Amino acid sequence: MAKLVLSLNGSVIGNYFLEKERFSIGRKPTCDIQINDQGVSKEHVVILTVGNDQILEDLGSTNGTQVNGQDTKRQILQNGDVIEVGRYRVKFVSQKAMPDMDFDKTLMIPAFDRTKLRQEEADKRGPDTESISTAVANARNVKTIFPLGAVHGISGELAGQEIELVRAITALGKPGSSAIISRRPAGYFITHVAGKKHPIVNGKSIGDSPFPLDNLDQLEVGLDKLQFYLK
Amino acid sequence: MKLKHALTIASATDAGLVRNFNEDSVTADEDSGLVVLADGMGGYKAGDVASGMATMIIGNELKEKFAKGVGKSNGVDLETELLRDAVSRANQAIYHAAHNKTQFQGMGTTVVITLFRDNIVTIAHVGDSRLYRLRNDKLEQLTVDHSLLQEQVQLGLISTEDARVSHNRNLVTRALGVNQTIAVDVRQERSQPGDIYLLCSDGLNDMVDDADIELAMVSIKENIPLLVQQLVLMANDNGGHDNISVAAIKVEKPFPLRTGFFSRWFSAHA
Repeated sequence: MAKLVLSLNGSVIGNYFLEKERFSIGRKPTCDIQINDQGVSKEHVVILTVGNDQILEDLGSTNGTQVNGQDTKRQILQNGDVIEVGRYRVKFVSQKAMPDMDFDKTLMIPAFDRTKLRQEEADKRGPDTESISTAVANARNVKTIFPLGAVHGISGELAGQEIELVRAITALGKPGSSAIISRRPAGYFITHVAGKKHPIVNGKSIGDSPFPLDNLDQLEVGLDKLQFYLK
Repeated sequence: MKLKHALTIASATDAGLVRNFNEDSVTADEDSGLVVLADGMGGYKAGDVASGMATMIIGNELKEKFAKGVGKSNGVDLETELLRDAVSRANQAIYHAAHNKTQFQGMGTTVVITLFRDNIVTIAHVGDSRLYRLRNDKLEQLTVDHSLLQEQVQLGLISTEDARVSHNRNLVTRALGVNQTIAVDVRQERSQPGDIYLLCSDGLNDMVDDADIELAMVSIKENIPLLVQQLVLMANDNGGHDNISVAAIKVEKPFPLRTGFFSRWFSAHA
């Protein structure tokens, strides 16, 4: 299990296991790690555990949060990361979060000079080779920390049907009059895609911007009337 | 047929959630049917210089040639040569900058280009920036990455499944600015109305699964500007570890080069 090692001026003060889905650090007594330091906000930062991932989120703290010396608002922690909160340092230790995702693009120093590859070879190698999917394993699904949503058809073509909003996007309506519901870390959003009539939520047109959905919102997309709910 | 009436083009670029600055560059020119996307690397902000040089030089080079008139297509090779020359010119400029100025030392960039002309899309790329196509609601990757990961898979050292957890995802084996000469992959495809072409940097395809890229393209094909925004959003929602750039081109109508009376007459009676 992932743990945090809290230290001040090089001395270890305590070890904390990330047993909770939401683990908070701040000045408030209700925080999982309480730090009495004027440089620390009441609720400074949280670490969310989703599967094998720990996501650090600065809660808009006054002095900010640094990970390995870099200011951060939100990031997935890697084994060995050092989080700085005020004068305190919190080391993140997790064998499941080895930094296997090096996103700093590097040019490979070629063992042999690949750039001397002749043009004809390049042409020959190009089109016919297998394509691979590189999406990192833990980035394949939206990490949500709220219940699964669904829409229930009230009238129109979807009357009586239920559609679970499992995937990142669910399309509604039909060509010429369509909308999407997207599943995001912060919740579900409905967005107008095409057509003169924009989707209507609880009797009001949503315009062009994504609109956050609340439990039991009434939706209208084209001629379909639907209800959104959290399961 | 003017190209801008036949194509709908939109692009978006974003630093992502982790990086402080954006080293990607994108340019799109509806009049010449050209879209160029580059993902720079190396040094403090030098990657941004390299990708910016690539998109600017390639864009200007082609615009100039089209303005002077490149003539009628002399078969399928004309566009291939145009792209190859433009990439070569950009490569040399970046190479010289990287070798003459210490602050640009070690910079380089990927590039992926689409040129739409006479119902044909000519595709050129170097590095791991990609081109996908959605046709009949099916996603297909039209470029093959120049990356160590790709080589490992091709050599059978690792499976395509292992690729997802490899440490080598960001090691590119070819880039502009590294050597004086550059090998460019170029291919041509006949385009069809309804096709959507998607250029992207690895900040998209490392963060969003191909299945979800397809889902977004199918769901939002009626609104190309929204599509590119949504793809950036999805990459950020999944972590946004890298800069994210996407450009999408939807083919609304055929775009034959010759629209004179005789060619119209011939195509109508063909």
